[in-house]
Amino acid sequence: MIEFNFAVVLAQWPMLLHGLGLTAALTAASALLGSVLGTACAWARLHGSATLKWLVGAYVELVRNTPFIIQLFFIFFGLPSLGVRLSVEVACVLSMVLNLGAYACEIIRAGLQATGRGQIEAAMSLALTPWQIFSRVVLPPALARIWPALVSQIIIVMLGSAVCGQISAEEMSQAANLISSRTFRSFESYIVVTLAYLALAVVLRQLLNWLGPRFIFVSR
Amino acid sequence: MNDSNNTAFALVDIRGLHKRFGATEVLKGIDLQVRRKEVICIIGKSGSGKSTLLRCINGLETFEQGSLSVDGQPLRHGDRNAMRELRQQVGMIFQSFNLFPHLGAGRNVMLAPSLVKGLPKDEARTRAQALLARVGLDGLFDRLPDQLSGGQQQRVAIARALAMDPTVLLCDEITSALDPELVGEVLQVIEMLAEEGMTLILVTHEMAFARKVSDRIVFMHQGLIHETGTPDEIFNRPQTPELRQFLSALRD
Amino acid sequence: MVQFSLWDILTFLLGAMRWTVLLSLIAFVGGGLVGLGLLLLRFAQLRGVGTLVTWYVQIFQGTPLLMQLFLVYFGLALLGMDTSPLVSAAICLTLYASAYLTEIWRGCVNAVHRGQWEASASLALDYRQQMRHVILPQAARVAIAPTVGFMVQIIKGTALASVIGFVELTKAGQMISNATYQPFLAYTFVGLLYFTLCYPLSRWSQRLESRRLA
Repeated sequence: MIEFNFAVVLAQWPMLLHGLGLTAALTAASALLGSVLGTACAWARLHGSATLKWLVGAYVELVRNTPFIIQLFFIFFGLPSLGVRLSVEVACVLSMVLNLGAYACEIIRAGLQATGRGQIEAAMSLALTPWQIFSRVVLPPALARIWPALVSQIIIVMLGSAVCGQISAEEMSQAANLISSRTFRSFESYIVVTLAYLALAVVLRQLLNWLGPRFIFVSR
Repeated sequence: MNDSNNTAFALVDIRGLHKRFGATEVLKGIDLQVRRKEVICIIGKSGSGKSTLLRCINGLETFEQGSLSVDGQPLRHGDRNAMRELRQQVGMIFQSFNLFPHLGAGRNVMLAPSLVKGLPKDEARTRAQALLARVGLDGLFDRLPDQLSGGQQQRVAIARALAMDPTVLLCDEITSALDPELVGEVLQVIEMLAEEGMTLILVTHEMAFARKVSDRIVFMHQGLIHETGTPDEIFNRPQTPELRQFLSALRD
Repeated sequence: MVQFSLWDILTFLLGAMRWTVLLSLIAFVGGGLVGLGLLLLRFAQLRGVGTLVTWYVQIFQGTPLLMQLFLVYFGLALLGMDTSPLVSAAICLTLYASAYLTEIWRGCVNAVHRGQWEASASLALDYRQQMRHVILPQAARVAIAPTVGFMVQIIKGTALASVIGFVELTKAGQMISNATYQPFLAYTFVGLLYFTLCYPLSRWSQRLESRRLA
């Protein structure tokens, strides 16, 4: 008979909470910065020079066609060879930002491309500057259009951050590893943390779906 | 062949049918008996419940109250085998044809007989070719639906339904989605079927056609059968103001 | 420190890449079969089955693949089975793929016009016949592009099998990095090798998608 002991695992809740906190922080930072990067890249792909378009395209394809763990290892282990030594947390955020940025670029680009020509013409007729047209007229509806896809991608990046434990970032999956080695209850440790990820995914989706219409699509 | 006349045995027997969609009651108590070889046309405004009634007869819509039997067998929605039995008796032709786009015309017609009735492939094929010829589409066996005009597609749909040897054919506004010049070829086929003695229940807006082929016309209004009668009675001597209004609106 | 030539490194990595490809194929085929089964169950209108499949999908889509791998690895050990990393990874990735594929294919079946269900039902076809002869052939056309696209996700997913000890391309890269003290070189090579596997599939999927919409 298989015996489970969740009590010892749940007794380690401070460690779990710490991990949860870092995962949440990493996600928040990379969601914000990654979306900004994605927006900039989307704009570049639509309106940039030929060289810029190619560069951004190459970045997007490279990121989307390699595993996140390799991107992380490259940044954390590989860059020091070039003299760029990053802390664990910075490496994680950077990797997640670059990862989300590439996917967000494509998602947001699709949203931007669906802008009606008439919108832009109306804005131009009102003598708005190009930046004003982009930020006030084009971008908010575009974001509203692609919001579900972007939210899903942010959640994917959040779940992918579990890999950051491999470079000893003290996030949730590392908490699971540590608790597992402390309590010798591997299965229970990973179940608890997995459920925590599931809960976080649900909460994150709700939060972003609440945040979007309230603060992001609304043009000030 | 004559028992249908003197015993008044209803091939399709509908009594007290009520149906709701959510909170809205769409059929408010339908009583209708259709005899073998009868041709019935159901007319009325959009939203009167005509198509819903038709779709109840072959079980595409369920109903909450009342009874519906075909050839003496009451409808049992829960029983999948019973529903399949029913649908071998009752064929349907749709407004949007619903041909299978990945199969040629002939294979559209062949599919159900070979799967449901277990007809061997060559027999099914020969029958399909004969049916296509019967609806005037000889030689178009291998054409895909998107290579056919609307009128041709609808005739394939008729052949497909006929391939199952149904006793009743339900036609749900089968010419409404067709360009006007293609309507005639489809109505010709229906007229042919009527002359050959097929029991037909049609929901249609084609009044001239209804007048020509029907034994009886049923006028529906707001979920109820408002008036029934022969084409002559309905068109020349409408009894109720609703029917009169409906007919005059058509004339404009 | 032993000096490895670039050629040595490359051949070692290519050797490991075979395992990446093998694991990807197992997951794709296995996941496809399980996913297809779940798809058929889902649309059969059996009580409660639809909800169960939805939960199954939500669990795999709402949790990290890394955690799933650990759970399968330790779970199998708990059940007393002697787990090799390959077997654990193969089982986990198969289930993972089945959840995503069944969800992708559900969308494709839903994209088939309702009228097709009605017409085939009116011709007295039963559920199996409807699916096999009318619905799935049409859904399959829509499904090819996203299915090929998902293959890329599977290949990237195999990289995590390195964490439970399976020696595929990522693990090989770590080994090279540790042996040569040249992580930049090692991970650049590994990244490029993954790219050569994934990029053609991505492009193919994009072409299929634009051809379908044309």
